[in-house]
Amino acid sequence: MNCRDIDGMLVEGSLGSPFSTDVEDHVRDCARCQLLVSATRTSTLTDEPSPVTLVHIESRLIADLRPVRPLRRLYVFAALIAIFVFAVAVAVYRLGAFAITAMSPLQASVILGTLAVCTGLLVSSLVQQIVPGRRHRISPHLVPAGIMVALAGVIALLFHFQPERNFWARDWACLKTGISLGAIVAVPLWLVLRRGAILSPALTGAAAGLLAGLVGTSSLELHCPNLHAAHILVSHLGVAVLGASVGLFTGIVADVRNSYATRSSIPRAGEGGSRLL
Amino acid sequence: MECGLGENVGARRTFVAVDRWMERYQQADPEAPAALIGALSPGLLRFFRSRAASREQADDLLQETWMRIHRVRHTYRPGEPVLPWVYAIARRVRIDGYRRTHRITAHEVSMETVPEPPVQVVQREMLPSFDTLLAALPAPQREVLTMLKIVGLTLEETACATSSTVGAVKQKAHRAYKRLRQLLQAGGEEDRPGGAE
Repeated sequence: MNCRDIDGMLVEGSLGSPFSTDVEDHVRDCARCQLLVSATRTSTLTDEPSPVTLVHIESRLIADLRPVRPLRRLYVFAALIAIFVFAVAVAVYRLGAFAITAMSPLQASVILGTLAVCTGLLVSSLVQQIVPGRRHRISPHLVPAGIMVALAGVIALLFHFQPERNFWARDWACLKTGISLGAIVAVPLWLVLRRGAILSPALTGAAAGLLAGLVGTSSLELHCPNLHAAHILVSHLGVAVLGASVGLFTGIVADVRNSYATRSSIPRAGEGGSRLL
Repeated sequence: MECGLGENVGARRTFVAVDRWMERYQQADPEAPAALIGALSPGLLRFFRSRAASREQADDLLQETWMRIHRVRHTYRPGEPVLPWVYAIARRVRIDGYRRTHRITAHEVSMETVPEPPVQVVQREMLPSFDTLLAALPAPQREVLTMLKIVGLTLEETACATSSTVGAVKQKAHRAYKRLRQLLQAGGEEDRPGGAE
């Protein structure tokens, strides 16, 4: 038994009370562990909530008590995927799937497969984000950035960089189409997501914006026969990056507005008022 | 006044029934709010007070947390543990509260500088409370230790409440304990011999 073991037991919460013989022996001989263990067993935070506050909270909750149906994550997941697939299908139907014939089978399967996996991962992360206290296998902070880096890497590997005439004119046409698609899809996506609890508007905004952007990116990947890597990176993947940026910005604005609004809408105990948020 | 933090952990285990009350709350059982508020509010208050919030601020945050819990109660899934769900919401309320306070205090002109109580330590008979020591830790480490030691959540529950992974929580807790050792050692070096590692 050494100090590191004691740290491990403190972290795991397995130190126990009373101590096991090993722990007892070490703590008795080690001044540092003695201090640490003693310190972690003391707290001055013993005050209880006042009964007046508790009654006030209770009365406000009861005033608005109605049965609610628990949110089904599977339905939310299915709804988000359905919106994505439907939007891409409609866009490709209207624009035409010219890129499929222009790409080699390897290029088509890898880029479309990567887009499908990234979309699934992003939707899954979004569903976890709108349900508080969910376990995340991958940190939600890493998912949007990871997806953009993965897509950029795949595009750079699959397609060639070549000089292109009218680069910006062609890019702008694709960007405009992709942004329009993303903006349209953002509305139904937001309507689904607002059914949950968005605790971190900036993070969820970035992920939702990226998902809307990926609708544009996927549609362009199926439609646009221009296979130059620079074009795909700027005007196809650019739609997703732009979507994530707009979503992040919107989330930050919502976050700031929330923190301004919340306190002023809650009367203190004894102040009266029964309106819920 | 001091209390054994181990008791908080023990008390948490009596909250098994809270899961049932939460389901009844979703079904609009009028007895459920009182049962939930009574069982969860003391822990929530300690959680808010641990970040050096005044009693009034902590009461405000407590109320705000319950209003948000009420508004998003449909996102609780029956059968799942309530504590990570509740503390994920409380954590968000605390962040918003901190920003609000910070914004207000940024516009206030202080008339005199009130020095922070030093976190220097340590003689056995003058051992600082755990809360005082926590104040010296960086925010992410302080948050993790607060949830683990003051609220009494498990590693898994803390990971869920902070939208993190168990590995990340363990790492923060290890670093926090290392830092606490340094603080305690720095204060007590004159008085006592080294450890037995």
